[in-house]
Amino acid sequence: MANNSATVEIHIRRRANPDASPYWEQFEIPYRPNLNIISCLMEIQKNPVNKAGERTTPPVWSMNCLEQVCGICTMIVNGRARQSCSALIDNLEQPIKLEPMSKFPNIRDLVVDRQQMFDHLRRVHAWIELDGTHDLGPGPRMDQEDVQERYAYSRCMTCGCCLEACPQYEGDNYIGPQAIAQVRLMNMHPSGKMNRAERLEAIMGEDGITNCGNAQNCVRACPMNIPLTRAIYEENRETVIHGLLGWLKG
Amino acid sequence: MAIRLSRTFILRKLHQLSGIFPLGIFLLEHFYTNSKALDGEKHFNDAVADLQAIPYILLIEIGGIFIPLIYHAVYGLVITMEARPNNLAYPYPRNWFYLIQRITGVILFFFIFFHVLNFRFGMVPGLNRISVAEHPEQAFGIVAGEFRMWWIFAIYMIGITATVWHLANGIWLFLVDWGITIGERAQRLTGYACIAFGVVLLLVGVNAAVAFIRPGGLIGGIIH
Repeated sequence: MANNSATVEIHIRRRANPDASPYWEQFEIPYRPNLNIISCLMEIQKNPVNKAGERTTPPVWSMNCLEQVCGICTMIVNGRARQSCSALIDNLEQPIKLEPMSKFPNIRDLVVDRQQMFDHLRRVHAWIELDGTHDLGPGPRMDQEDVQERYAYSRCMTCGCCLEACPQYEGDNYIGPQAIAQVRLMNMHPSGKMNRAERLEAIMGEDGITNCGNAQNCVRACPMNIPLTRAIYEENRETVIHGLLGWLKG
Repeated sequence: MAIRLSRTFILRKLHQLSGIFPLGIFLLEHFYTNSKALDGEKHFNDAVADLQAIPYILLIEIGGIFIPLIYHAVYGLVITMEARPNNLAYPYPRNWFYLIQRITGVILFFFIFFHVLNFRFGMVPGLNRISVAEHPEQAFGIVAGEFRMWWIFAIYMIGITATVWHLANGIWLFLVDWGITIGERAQRLTGYACIAFGVVLLLVGVNAAVAFIRPGGLIGGIIH
């Protein structure tokens, strides 16, 4: 397999700046065993010459942890959103097509601005209030089953694969499974529950949880195997009981 | 803290609810009445006459059928416009169901419009011009007359299939949207239950339609 003449062909959808129009550029680099997308991009960066032999600008991308826990290197590899660090060349069909995620503003080449996901986290109050003027003592104990479920939601790395795969998400029109799962994570916490109403109101807005179309691509696309549909349906129940039927308690 | 309900949230919840109650319930009643045709012309005409004799029938028809139907149809189109299908990149069953739910919805928009004009009002040019509701004694004959045209019958077969799909999958969607079904296993089991329900409902619906052109329906004379 490790043939010296073997090459890896990569097509990259590039864009010089947010106002420029996108275009495809083809690259070819020598094959080595165990290459991943990031190491290929680094190889191209060292000597930015495209397949036609023309000198070009080095492609730009984001990366950080290189072990699929930070989410920043997410891009569309052969049509599907995934982390480029864990996308091994040996497992991919060539030519490999790399595109920036389509649901976030494209800054340059493979870099997108994922600020909207962090805005969603702020809107849904995705944290637990712990500050006090005095020692609040140890936190309340949690059911082991709840701990397990919360652990699953806590693995979210805000990569955006779920939003990229969602047929309802377009132009920040929907709060999305990423934020809803964090609502579930925080609402399950005994102290976090104190801000439940605030979080529910945030996911019951015009772009809220009811925009979910149940295509369930999110749970399939999630690289961390987070039970996103379970989170959405748990929150459906919470919004029905506390939101829609809440007035019956008043 | 009282939770404020947004306009979209209320409209979507009403859309989800109206598909089951009253529209889903009405479809079951509709297939029940249609199935009277299995026992022959008189049974069906009597059933239509009985329905017309319900007290406050006009109010029930307007408030229980027409208003929810128009709301569900029009708001359904609004929801459909939002869809950005990506089935080729993500070819999973639920993603196909998502697309088919919208396609059948659009089919139903036109089919039900045609169906109501054709039979309830008898206002489709070139076809039946008698209102079934106003002439229960001719009900069976009117339907049978239309169904003898193969292309009309084909339209109704497509319409019935689309309706049954839309309701059976719609029940599943209601269960998850209202937080009744939650976990993965429950999603799967309720999914199977909805498929089984859909298959039975489709057989009932098609059999009743066939009964207008073939006495006793598909297997006429065996059950009845």
